[in-house]
Amino acid sequence: MAYVPATTLNILRFSKLSRLMSMYPSHFAEPNLNKITDRKSASHIPVKAATNDLSDSIFYGELKNKLIKYITKKGNRNLAKELLNETFETIKRTQIERLNLNKGDKTSVIINSEQLLINAIENSRPLLQLSAIKRGGVKYQVPVPVTEKKSYFLAMKWLLDAAREKDRKVHLPEKLAWEILDAACGQGRVVKKKDDLHRQCESNRAYAHYRWS
Amino acid sequence: MRIPGALYAARGRAPQNEKEVPFQEVLPLRLKNTVSGKADSGSDVACLQEMGVLFACLKDNEFVEKYCHKEISQFQNCYKFYMDRKFEAKKTVNQGIVQPGSNLNYRQLNKYMRRFPNPQ
Repeated sequence: MAYVPATTLNILRFSKLSRLMSMYPSHFAEPNLNKITDRKSASHIPVKAATNDLSDSIFYGELKNKLIKYITKKGNRNLAKELLNETFETIKRTQIERLNLNKGDKTSVIINSEQLLINAIENSRPLLQLSAIKRGGVKYQVPVPVTEKKSYFLAMKWLLDAAREKDRKVHLPEKLAWEILDAACGQGRVVKKKDDLHRQCESNRAYAHYRWS
Repeated sequence: MRIPGALYAARGRAPQNEKEVPFQEVLPLRLKNTVSGKADSGSDVACLQEMGVLFACLKDNEFVEKYCHKEISQFQNCYKFYMDRKFEAKKTVNQGIVQPGSNLNYRQLNKYMRRFPNPQ
């Protein structure tokens, strides 16, 4: 399943469940990055102003944009962007080195670092989650399905958490690059964390019907 | 001669005198003109069967996801369908369109009852 950005999902979806404090009335559509083919019908629909992190450049990626937001600390977005770019550079260098070392099959090594990031995130997405529910004075860990959005969030959070757990001398992009490379081929700490979560969910499956409202 | 107490008990207790214990209407003896929306929220337990199938498959394959594609997609589709239906239901509730039929939600019921209230 590919990542479906929220901006394309909500386009022209007139929801009555708009945010109560939103400055836009509920009939406003989300800004759309794609080229509008049907201009006649679109010209009558009011659209929300685009946020300043949206772009129609070819270097823009919804998932990448999200990850930059998660990396950011204290609003220093430029630094976060730099860190991610450096991560991509490290990934690409490592992969090219691997490609040159690999004598036989040249097609098996993916060099595209953005593709590798996507693969890593897809590999570390959880299916279920444990939530604590109190029944009769005892807290039970109950397995609950996660929404798609939340699973992407958790995958990226785990990748970043793993990358931030490092020596002071190691630079974040370096560690993040290694975590992404590990997760992209289905191994490493993040994928193990996801598997552990699934195992825990499986051992707590007897409590699954405790879930309510 | 002493009469055993059981003989009195067989006749039962005498009723209270209504003048001594007048009836008090603590709550009004008529139904309210509204219903609460609590029952409509429903239970959150969904896709239990799919979850069970998924767990069985994962356990058999030692938690390697690529062998359980079918189960995973079934589980996710089920949850997505459930969430979509919930979203739609909430939307129709908030719209509050009154339609004829027996399957009414609490908002529609409240609208009906506001039009035909209980006599005071």
